[in-house]
Amino acid sequence: MRTFAIELRKEKRTGVIPLMLAVGILGAVYAFVFFLVQKDTLLNLPLAPMDVLLTQLYGMIMVLNMFGIIVAACIIYNMEFKGSAIKKMYMLPMSIPTMYFYKYLILIIMFFIVIVFQNLALTIIGLTDLPQDTFEFETLLSFAGYSFITSVPVLSFMVLVSSRFENMWVPLGMGVAGFLSGMALAASNNMFLCVHPFVIMLKPAVAMSAQPDTIVVIFSLVETAIFLFSGLWAAKYLRCE
Amino acid sequence: MDYIITTKQLTKKYKSFAAVNNVSLNIRKGSIYGFLGPNGAGKSTTMKMLLGLTAPTKGSFTINGKQFPNDRLSILKEVGSFIESPSYYANLTGRENLDIIRRILGLSKSSVADALELVGLSEFGGRLAKKYSLGMKQRLGLAGALLGRPPILILDEPTNGLDPSGIHEIRNLIKSLPGLYDCTVLISSHMLSEIELMADDIGILNHGRLLFEGSLDELRQNALQSGFAADNLEDMFLSMIDKDNVSRKQRAKL
Repeated sequence: MRTFAIELRKEKRTGVIPLMLAVGILGAVYAFVFFLVQKDTLLNLPLAPMDVLLTQLYGMIMVLNMFGIIVAACIIYNMEFKGSAIKKMYMLPMSIPTMYFYKYLILIIMFFIVIVFQNLALTIIGLTDLPQDTFEFETLLSFAGYSFITSVPVLSFMVLVSSRFENMWVPLGMGVAGFLSGMALAASNNMFLCVHPFVIMLKPAVAMSAQPDTIVVIFSLVETAIFLFSGLWAAKYLRCE
Repeated sequence: MDYIITTKQLTKKYKSFAAVNNVSLNIRKGSIYGFLGPNGAGKSTTMKMLLGLTAPTKGSFTINGKQFPNDRLSILKEVGSFIESPSYYANLTGRENLDIIRRILGLSKSSVADALELVGLSEFGGRLAKKYSLGMKQRLGLAGALLGRPPILILDEPTNGLDPSGIHEIRNLIKSLPGLYDCTVLISSHMLSEIELMADDIGILNHGRLLFEGSLDELRQNALQSGFAADNLEDMFLSMIDKDNVSRKQRAKL
């Protein structure tokens, strides 16, 4: 916990926490405005009201979340490289993998808050704007969990690459390339493409149903574990020579 | 003799290039040990190995009876260090930077003010580190090394970037440290004139090899025997380096 508190202190003035809060608020505002403007069109789609609420709004929200994650992951490690602060950390009696883990945890917690903000907005829309008795809280919770789980591989991947490159433009470029290639591949039914973390994050956005896909969830969990443990391993074994 | 740092045939090779070659150092407890050598001699690499920043290719070392890599964390608790250039969080103030280090070391809050006071940065503690001048960053790095008054200090060219009065001030501070709280200082420089004013013992390194180790008096005797004036150690140091460079070239030709 002491390392967690230290990592939080390091975030001061980096903009990571305000950025993630802004992503959550923007996503929520987008959901309100889009549903307000497109309500009739959306509710006339040949889909169940809950599917409309969850899948038709998620595309833009997911893009916001993805860019939020990419930028936040870049910032959270860039501040270690700027001013060579990480070099001092190597010379102090602390575990670098623990530092990596708590940076990761901060992003996970912030992203969880983002998801909470956005799903609060969806809950309010569902209760006020969907036809009576069509709002299902369990479905919303399940989709919120699904969107969270499918986003974590991108977060894990981005923290890993940000920790390996001193030049922030490299992970940022990889994030943008991941987004573009993910967009091109997400609509494919080939499940093998789920090895691409950005494709996984896009899967709930291209689906027409709010029901979680078990195979996508399994891919998400496996990739999250692989990227997280790779990052911890790399933090332990690679010194600044 | 009570040695606090000893290295045995410490070697660091990058492919075929030996940055540090069979260096055996003996640093007395409570002394200031000047580590001398021209740029690229291997001073920083040796210091990095002592801090576990880079692994030795061969050889071993002990610090206060502890060995790397097994005792890495307990060694780092006792060593304050400053390597090459100051390391700091640009988004934090000088005081916040030191507070991060303080929390990692588990020290009292007053240690931050103490370290800032020691390096003369008290009035600038609230300024963002990225807005510090080079000299102030250097002082901040030094304050980070001095935080909690560790028993061992490893300082790599700590006066780089300081103006003459800053150099004088930091030199006096370093000189006073063993008397102030019984610490041992390993300090590197490429200028003998700089080290001469504060060190008790010196080690001269060139192309990764240790050419001389001993007290300043021993170096003076060595200078007299070699025909140099004892008050001109700079010439002695330079000729020692030149002689080694010539013999290296001859060995390379053979």
